[in-house]
Amino acid sequence: MWRLALSNALASRSRLALTWLAVALGVAFVTGSLVLTDTSTRLLDDQFRTTAAGVDLTVRGAAAFDAAMGVEVQRDPLPAALADRIGATPGVDRVRAVASGPGQLQVDGRAVEPAGPTVLGTWAEAPFTAYELRAGRAPVADGEVVLDAATATGHGIDLGDTVVVSAATSRQLRVVGLTGVGDGDGLADSTVVLAALPTAQALLDLGTGVTSVDVIAAEGVPVADLRGDLAAALGEQYAVTNAQDAAAASADAAKESIEYLRIVLLALAAAGLVVGAFLIANTFGIVLTQRTRELALLRAAGATGRQVLASVLGEALLVGVTGAAGGTAAGIGAAHALRGLAQSAGLALPDGPLTVTGRTVVVGLAAGTVITLLAALGPARRAARTAPVAAMRASDPAPSAPRRRRLVTGWVALGLGVALLVTAALLRDVAGVAVGAVLLLAGLVVLGPVLAPRLARAVGRPLLGLGVPGQLARESAVRNPRRTAATATALALGLALIVFVTVLGSSVKAIGATSTEAITADLLVQSSRDEMLGGLSPEVADRIAALPEVAAVSSVRYGHWLDAGTTSALTAVDPATLPRVASVEMTAGELAALDGGGIVLATGVAAERGLRVGDTLAMTLPRHGEQRLRVVGLMDDDSARALSTSYVISLDTYAEHFTEDVDATVYIALTDDVDPAEARQTLRAAVADFPNAEILDQAEAAAGRAAAVDQVLGLVTVLLGFAVLIALLGITNTLALSIVERTREIGLLRAVGTTRTQLSWMVRAEAVLVAAVAVVVGLALGLGLAVATLAGLSSDTPVVVRVPVAQLGAIVVAAVLAGLAAGLLPARRAARLDVLSAIATQ
Amino acid sequence: MTTTTTDGQPATAPATTTSFAARAIDVVKTHGRGEAAVRALDGASVAIPTGRFTAVMGPSGSGKSTLVHALAGLDGIDSGRVLVGDTDLTELSERERTLLRRERLGFVFQAFNLVPSLTAAENIALPLTLAGKRPDPAWLAELVEVLGLGPRLGHRPSQLSGGQQQRVAVGRALVARPELVFADEPTGNLDSRAGAALLSFLRDATRTFGQTTVMVTHDPVAAAYADRVVFLADGRIVDELADPTAETVLARLARLDTPRIDEPVGA
Repeated sequence: MWRLALSNALASRSRLALTWLAVALGVAFVTGSLVLTDTSTRLLDDQFRTTAAGVDLTVRGAAAFDAAMGVEVQRDPLPAALADRIGATPGVDRVRAVASGPGQLQVDGRAVEPAGPTVLGTWAEAPFTAYELRAGRAPVADGEVVLDAATATGHGIDLGDTVVVSAATSRQLRVVGLTGVGDGDGLADSTVVLAALPTAQALLDLGTGVTSVDVIAAEGVPVADLRGDLAAALGEQYAVTNAQDAAAASADAAKESIEYLRIVLLALAAAGLVVGAFLIANTFGIVLTQRTRELALLRAAGATGRQVLASVLGEALLVGVTGAAGGTAAGIGAAHALRGLAQSAGLALPDGPLTVTGRTVVVGLAAGTVITLLAALGPARRAARTAPVAAMRASDPAPSAPRRRRLVTGWVALGLGVALLVTAALLRDVAGVAVGAVLLLAGLVVLGPVLAPRLARAVGRPLLGLGVPGQLARESAVRNPRRTAATATALALGLALIVFVTVLGSSVKAIGATSTEAITADLLVQSSRDEMLGGLSPEVADRIAALPEVAAVSSVRYGHWLDAGTTSALTAVDPATLPRVASVEMTAGELAALDGGGIVLATGVAAERGLRVGDTLAMTLPRHGEQRLRVVGLMDDDSARALSTSYVISLDTYAEHFTEDVDATVYIALTDDVDPAEARQTLRAAVADFPNAEILDQAEAAAGRAAAVDQVLGLVTVLLGFAVLIALLGITNTLALSIVERTREIGLLRAVGTTRTQLSWMVRAEAVLVAAVAVVVGLALGLGLAVATLAGLSSDTPVVVRVPVAQLGAIVVAAVLAGLAAGLLPARRAARLDVLSAIATQ
Repeated sequence: MTTTTTDGQPATAPATTTSFAARAIDVVKTHGRGEAAVRALDGASVAIPTGRFTAVMGPSGSGKSTLVHALAGLDGIDSGRVLVGDTDLTELSERERTLLRRERLGFVFQAFNLVPSLTAAENIALPLTLAGKRPDPAWLAELVEVLGLGPRLGHRPSQLSGGQQQRVAVGRALVARPELVFADEPTGNLDSRAGAALLSFLRDATRTFGQTTVMVTHDPVAAAYADRVVFLADGRIVDELADPTAETVLARLARLDTPRIDEPVGA
């Protein structure tokens, strides 16, 4: 039976070629995603580990949590004297006070913008760091700086050049040295700016404070013991962490964003594999139907059903293993392409050699093999049931009608899915929406053979106008329900996902656009780097406020907090100036009451939590842990959307509970008599030495937000296009196989006078019809799921659903054209079929 | 070669000097290449008289199917000429030959004559609908009547018996009033009663409508329905017989049947 499987696979290799390709493509996507995320993870690990090379312990300010949403919590600065105190503790060999934080570098008036962070730090060599001078000397005096050699080379910076470094403040510094990091010339995708401690302190506006103290234990002193001793000696105000753990935690925070990418990529890869599975099942189904006579002969000659099953599965195994192997190899190349794609979509991923782990290979091989086997199982079981008498039958058996049990299961799943979707959407329960979506999809897949022919008949009605070729194309699609269903379902899934993200994306953009209505500011300043919590030095707001053209300035900041263990976000505003740049509609209480340290909630959220003015809300904030904030007012949901979160506190309260000292947005109201364009020039000049400060008007800000959504949307759509490509391969494959099956019919048609052109159009029309059925299902499914998801997600705001008609129209046209393209090859094949050999096949 | 006149010559038959619907002149056709090459037609010449029912017979491998395929424009030839009416098929492009088949020829094959997804009526009308035309309702009604397909017109091939399927095929072959109908072993898959009915119909079509018909068969009983039988051996016409009966055909075949190795023809 194994030999039979092998020879069958070899004999039908042209029929299995596209199946093989589908397996390989799906697996390449999976392994590519794994390789990419593994590589990024390892590079980040390396990066944080090398910077904490020889340090045993790190002392920092205590914080309620380390990081949220991939952003490390900023901690309180430490008093300079603490370093001496730690140094005097028994068991400590050496200590080093460190001032570090995010910064920016400017060369000749141009900002240096690496894909990753710009690290502003305090110079030190081994054993404290892995920095190694490559040229020049260490920064000793105030006003001196060392840059990483890679950045210097990349931007043509030489020793003796002057650069501008800015963080909380901005200063001109002279480059006195260039450093490497370990063996490398720098850190992947990062810029390293190192100064002497006083310079770093001044830039970060720390006064005499430091951000952390690095500790090296004395010879023979166990690090764990010393950690306990130090923690006891310093008290709860300070956190003593194993330096490697601290580095790992930093790496983890950075990796969190990659984790999202991993989930998205693997989800898309899974979609590709599922679509591929339909193709595989279809191919095996068709090839086996064509071999019914042969299988029956085997059965008549004494092969058991089990042996037939094993032989078919053996063939599937062969295709699966070789396809998976090819795909795994291709996945490494795919990782390169994926990284390029992700980077061009604005995701910061470190560059470096790719990491291929054993797990990646195992997962890739297993995914390809298992999917192929599972997909082939249905056709294999049908083949095993072939009656020996079928060998004697003259005609091919008609496709069997779907069984009753299948119908019942399908309708129940479909009904439950729809019911769950609707209720979950109404109850704003995203998890319910997800479960409903899965049930709905399962129902559709099961019912496919029942629904597909009806849909094909309805959608294919216009084909009747095309004469016999059109009519035959429609009938052919209707005649083989299982095949049409599988082919169309695969494409419909891919299209539904694209429609889903498109509608989701445009709705998200619409939410962004509504904020324009609540904000009345003439201009606003934001960081061009798009840091999650913002990245403007407070000095930007101060300088702008001092200009005569400016009537009012109001800063907004963001912070993370833990809501019973779940990360959430809040907005901090200045209640005195905010009304001059935004019209916040209060439904209860007063915005001004924020001054007392309370919180204003979005009305929707307050209702959901059952909170009213006067109640308190428990929040875990980074500096002092759990706090109870009094609700002093409620604002309407549109205002909450304009301020980005449903929780608003005052800047004073923020300063008390957060160490972060950066503005996310500075809103500006100009005086009535100034020309906005001129005022912009003045503003720009005033903040020229903060290269990341971007002055925008409302429209530009909205466009920027839309562009960010579009970038992510573009990435996801491109990747989904991949699943659609596999589905299109499915159409090509199915049609090509069905043409082999219909050789005699085609020969007959040709004999009685069907021209090659007519025959080509018949096949193409069928491809387009299948694509059109998929478009109808995909569009309905994608739209429905998007609306349900938006409803489920918008727990604090009313549903905003924007259906981008033009974009969806483009998707529909593209899908139908792609269907046409998918039919080209089979159509050619059909037209070239030799009339004689076709009618001689008997 | 001489033309035997028989009764039943239709009044509507074209009164041209050539009373031949089709002619093959010195046709040579080789299947395969090199060692495997088989000369299926080796200088075959035959004329198909208009308004007559001609049967083509011969041992298997004699080239009879190849000859009919060549006459019908289904296959090209290596040398010689093939004429349908006054049209030289060897000078036509593939597309022109297709259109010629659609407009001037009709076909009945041994099996798989019908498009499974079309009804009987749609199958009958197929050559016309492919050309974007509609069948002449009176002619269609007469055909359906004669073929006894009235109650079956809305059925699909899978719902028809073998005999009914072949009758639908005959209807399709005749619907466009072609100059020439080719039937390739049309009774091969039928029981003797259904076969006899079909052959009677083909004969009647010639007698009543003046339909020129060429039938390939290996069955002397089937050949006896024809007005004339031509015999092929080794790719040439070797004999012919007017007003055949099963017995006379059998006798001629026995004479022809010199021992030879059967070679597959046409795949």
